[in-house]
Amino acid sequence: MNPAPSPAPAGGREGSDWLKHAIIIAILCIELLPFYMMLQISVKDNTSFLANPWLPLPPGEWNLGNLVSGIRLIGPYIANTVFVAVSATGASLALALLGAYFFARYQMPFGRLLWAVFLVLMLMPGVANIVPLFALLKGMGLLNSLNALILLGVAGGQVFQVFLLRNFIEDIPKDLFEAAEIDGASHFQQLRSIVIPMSGPIIGTLAILGFLGAWNDFMMPLIILRDRELFTLGVGLIYLDGEYVKKWGEIMAAYLIASIPLILIFLFTMKLFIRGLSAGAIKG
Amino acid sequence: MARIRISARKALHEWKLYLFVVPSLLMIATFSYFPALSAVYHSFFDWGGGEYKQFLGLGNYRRLFSDPVLWGAFGTIGILIIANIFKMIPSIAIAVLVHRLKSDRWQYWYRVLLVIPMIVPGLVTLFIWKFFFDPTSGLLNAFLDATHLKSVLIELDREVLHWNVFAEGIPIPWLGDPKLIVPSLILWGFPWIGAVGVLIYLAGLQSIGTEVYEAAEIDGASSLDKFWYVELPLILTQVRINLVLLVIGTLQGFGLQFLLLGNSGGAGQAGMVPGLWMFNKAFIAGEFGYACAIGMLLFVFILVLTYFNNKYVRVDK
Repeated sequence: MNPAPSPAPAGGREGSDWLKHAIIIAILCIELLPFYMMLQISVKDNTSFLANPWLPLPPGEWNLGNLVSGIRLIGPYIANTVFVAVSATGASLALALLGAYFFARYQMPFGRLLWAVFLVLMLMPGVANIVPLFALLKGMGLLNSLNALILLGVAGGQVFQVFLLRNFIEDIPKDLFEAAEIDGASHFQQLRSIVIPMSGPIIGTLAILGFLGAWNDFMMPLIILRDRELFTLGVGLIYLDGEYVKKWGEIMAAYLIASIPLILIFLFTMKLFIRGLSAGAIKG
Repeated sequence: MARIRISARKALHEWKLYLFVVPSLLMIATFSYFPALSAVYHSFFDWGGGEYKQFLGLGNYRRLFSDPVLWGAFGTIGILIIANIFKMIPSIAIAVLVHRLKSDRWQYWYRVLLVIPMIVPGLVTLFIWKFFFDPTSGLLNAFLDATHLKSVLIELDREVLHWNVFAEGIPIPWLGDPKLIVPSLILWGFPWIGAVGVLIYLAGLQSIGTEVYEAAEIDGASSLDKFWYVELPLILTQVRINLVLLVIGTLQGFGLQFLLLGNSGGAGQAGMVPGLWMFNKAFIAGEFGYACAIGMLLFVFILVLTYFNNKYVRVDK
């Protein structure tokens, strides 16, 4: 097809677009309904929620106490999740960079075989792993610990990250590495001064994906963690959902607070965020 | 960049390079390969997850074939897969609609609005939907009452469905009635816009040049013709990849059912799916060996799908 996509609007040239706008806006309204509900219920107490579930309260009547109880409810879970997400993402990317550097720069004996070891996992379904993983972690004495989640996060990220980083590093001009080698740079120096600066966008994208993954994870934490102090967000929300007396205002406030870190990431890294989402879909 | 070839003789000298892959390899060996092999091995045992185990031969596998819950679960997942395939349509439709807009600025803002649901953790969106489904304080019932759509449902139930689940004055138990569980699992997430899918489709559509549309218009092509002959072919590869990923994801997923219905799959186990049954067998019943056998069955199903995906669907670059 056309290699240089024209920036001009492509679709129907004639007539006005009002019908398309109407359809899109209608769909968006329903799509964003959960988001809207979360926002407006988060400042209502139970009486005002039951009296008026649909419309937002005027700002004067907002019950901001909900947000305070929301922070009390899930603040500790968020702290645990941030700890796991940041450590796992950081460690995972560090190891993946080393691995990708090896595959991208050198063709060692057995290199092809080692690469196959990674590639097979791209295709192998992990569905049966959850049960033996639990037994393995139990055997390693890692149940009920956040370290287990970090280890799983690091291991789970390796294949995809090594795969993408390798492609990226291979595209870095060879002269850069040769010049560095003439200057006597070690492998680590080359990684630090060439690879990391040159692959900023892909590292950023992978970091966001890793963080999102850790943030949304609930199955392994649910199986592994037992003590309330160690709960990550996923488990915390499941327990919150299981409570009998529902104060919807406080619950929605908690949901809102659980979203804030992602909202911040989104605001500051919109481009990387959108690219990360698209890259994640190709993951397979 | 051409890679530096290092011969076997030189490799002895440069052995330190291997240390670069060792950490990654150790991680995947321990947490991906070992559990996979362990699952194969333990699927032949009566195993509680600990030291004790007893060899059963093919016992677990024979049990799979006579497990009514498991086959019921495969039936349910089949319905959900078919429903999910239809649920791809809104994303394609909205991508085409946004793409056809004349204003670039609006295209940009719609794209941003479409991504907003993604910044709410998936779990939270799910729990908000669970709250919508709540019989007494949920908004779905409030909406149906306010718009009198409920009387339509009652009529439909009486004349066509004969489910006896909708009645005047009684809140509809969306997630509490065996007959309504699968419909609720399908309804969940309406209007089923997948932000990632839309973004990818939009990226594909962007490569259509204006002159293609102009040519189509000179030929008198209708909107629908343009969709079938110009737009769809361009995103077809991505649609096909998404389709396969969706089928695989639905087949092995059980988070949705677990969160909305609990580990038993809801009333009458109507929402039980194979993954959830595996989870249930391992972590509720403590039958790790049998759970591994269920896992192996799913594994084989997905492997076959992946094989066909790579052979017939996936187009590399």
